[in-house]
Amino acid sequence: MIDALIDMIRRMSASRGVMVIALLGIASSIAVAVLPARPPSGVQMWTFARLHKQMYDPIIADWPAELRPEITLMSFPALERRMLQGFLARTPTAELIECERRSAARAFVGPLESVGFTDLTDRLRSEGLLDQINGPSFGPWSSRGRIFGLPHDVHPVMLGYRADLVEAAGIDVSTIETWDDFVRVMGPLMSERGPDGKPVRYLLNLWEDKEDLIEVLLLQAGGGYFDEQERVRIATPVNARVISTIVMWCRGPGRIAADAADFSASGNQLKAEGYVVAAFMPDWMCNVWKNEIPQLSGKMKLMPLPAWTRGGRRTSVWGGTMLGISRTAPDQERLWRIASKLYLSPELARSLYTTGDIITPVRTLWNDPIFDEPDPYFSGQRKGRDYIALAPDVPNRTSSPYNVMAKLRVQTAVIALSTHAMRIGATSVEQLEPRAMELLKVAENQVRAQIKRNVFLDSGGDATDGGGS
Amino acid sequence: MTRTAGRFSIAPWLLLGPFLACFGVFFALPLVQSVGLSMRQTFGPAASEFVGAANYRNVMADPLFWKAVRNTVVFTVGNVIIQLPLALLLAMLLNRPGLRWRGALRAIFFAPVLVGVVFVAMIFGVIFEKRTGLVNQALHSMIGWDLDFPWLQRYVMPAMIIASLWQYLGFNMVYFLGALQNVRKELIEASTLDGAGPWQRFRHVVVPQIRPVASFVVLLSIVGSFQLFELPYVLFNGTAGPDNRGLTIVMYLYQMGFDQGDLGYASAVGWLLAALLIVFALLQRRLAGEAGRGARA
Repeated sequence: MIDALIDMIRRMSASRGVMVIALLGIASSIAVAVLPARPPSGVQMWTFARLHKQMYDPIIADWPAELRPEITLMSFPALERRMLQGFLARTPTAELIECERRSAARAFVGPLESVGFTDLTDRLRSEGLLDQINGPSFGPWSSRGRIFGLPHDVHPVMLGYRADLVEAAGIDVSTIETWDDFVRVMGPLMSERGPDGKPVRYLLNLWEDKEDLIEVLLLQAGGGYFDEQERVRIATPVNARVISTIVMWCRGPGRIAADAADFSASGNQLKAEGYVVAAFMPDWMCNVWKNEIPQLSGKMKLMPLPAWTRGGRRTSVWGGTMLGISRTAPDQERLWRIASKLYLSPELARSLYTTGDIITPVRTLWNDPIFDEPDPYFSGQRKGRDYIALAPDVPNRTSSPYNVMAKLRVQTAVIALSTHAMRIGATSVEQLEPRAMELLKVAENQVRAQIKRNVFLDSGGDATDGGGS
Repeated sequence: MTRTAGRFSIAPWLLLGPFLACFGVFFALPLVQSVGLSMRQTFGPAASEFVGAANYRNVMADPLFWKAVRNTVVFTVGNVIIQLPLALLLAMLLNRPGLRWRGALRAIFFAPVLVGVVFVAMIFGVIFEKRTGLVNQALHSMIGWDLDFPWLQRYVMPAMIIASLWQYLGFNMVYFLGALQNVRKELIEASTLDGAGPWQRFRHVVVPQIRPVASFVVLLSIVGSFQLFELPYVLFNGTAGPDNRGLTIVMYLYQMGFDQGDLGYASAVGWLLAALLIVFALLQRRLAGEAGRGARA
């Protein structure tokens, strides 16, 4: 038969190359058809973070077989695509899906009954978990008053700074309470100039196009993009004040900010060289620095974020992960048992901290002595306890599927304001605020127009609704 | 059925059958369906609402769409105006009689085409970085260039045109080289004997003969530029870059269709893109035709 096939191909074409390609095609087709596919065994769980899988595998190793999920690690975009494809087109997904804030929000675009995650609200309430878990941690996983995921973290933000440089300059950071204090007290660190006449270091790792950091600062100041009812609120005096300040920090005559990108070799090199003195440091970022810039071990320290006003909030929030249950998965009871056993376990809380420097959102586990251990990277600070002290103060966030869009529109406004500041030679925050308000209004109208277009969200006729309440 | 001398012949249809089936199922049917889809708002197959022409109206009213159009046109014009003349120049240099290592040089210039766009984007992402990037460092050491020059923050399109130039210059050069090698030698010799200088020979002898290939390369370049997606997508880690300066029409389509989950809106964008491409193609054909008639006149 194979001879006949080869003969047939030979007659069709004299080229050996064609024959080889054809044979390879036939052989691989047969192999795909004949080789047995391994059916998934047990409950399937997807995660996008290698670190998470490394933490979970030892914890679940001793669990009974019927409760032990098979964890598959995939890249963040792959998980997002497969998850959304599963929810939208009913292709198979894992029963348990761990996803990050942006991905989860995308599942909330359509009608409530089309959200691909199981609604956990009643279960969380009946089991008293709403009181046990840090309240603000539920925000990104809630839509229109319903909660669709178990929070993995809190992610309070502190300011990591180069203690070696700061202490060598005789600066006492305990005197810093506000951002104005920060600029004034840390200012002397920028006195050294390079051959081009520019400072060899800047006080803050921040730039006008860093939309994540802009959000961190807006949330800290009590601003943001949506109010508690998830209505668009971008053009507010608080937001205008914050973005004007950011622009002055980046472009003003008293510039204090510079760009040393996170997650990049060049950015890490700049950080190691001391190009920036301080950086925004959510708990998970501590682990990133430890892995990527180990040479700074013992040279770093953490302090609460300087407040915008005296007595104001000393922290913010950046990032977040949840564990959701696929709504179409069978045996929801078993899946809930697995999810809650994994996420609420003291072992995971300890592993989260020791392996990933992440604070658990389960408040009842915050007494664990692991959080009191000194951290050599941060000059022996008991940073776990410091983050926990700030955890209840992290600002609330919404889960609006339009959050990413709002974030990018505000970034556009900040960049436009920066161009304006350079053009007019702005010298003060107050000078920029009226223009900032105009630009934020444009951003707000654009987001509002997109939301209004969505026929699935129950907006109650209010075009300012961001898909919630 | 085909009728030949009063008889039906099934053979052509049998031979065409597999192609027609694939074409119908995977091209014609989705194309027709996408017209209907462009008049619906969707969130997966379960949630779909007829919205008439609202998608088209919303696209046309969205300033972001126009920003995407502007960016795409800038990239296209930059590509056509800078890349193609350079490719032609390079082809002419390689076409010089007696040039040694012609094959090797052709392979070297063509090699970047073999590199995936994703890698090109990653490489140029590093090259264009502030302070530590190769471009700023090199220019700084040569002419005191600002180390903080924000290529990927404020000069996104020039950066992408340079990246594209690096990758596709050799590709277009190969087309031009092929065309130049088919220019009739006797015409060149005759024009030289008639006293034509190098520019006149190029203008009146070479250009008319390579025009069909040049038109094809221009069209290919326009269509390719209008479909720009991977380069900014990888360069800006899935976003359109600061202030959407890397946003292209296809990226806008992708964001609306796959980030927002509204395939209806994305279909409307797709049809508008198709319309734009048709307009550009017709314009290009007309201009090329007029130039050809002008040259013959």
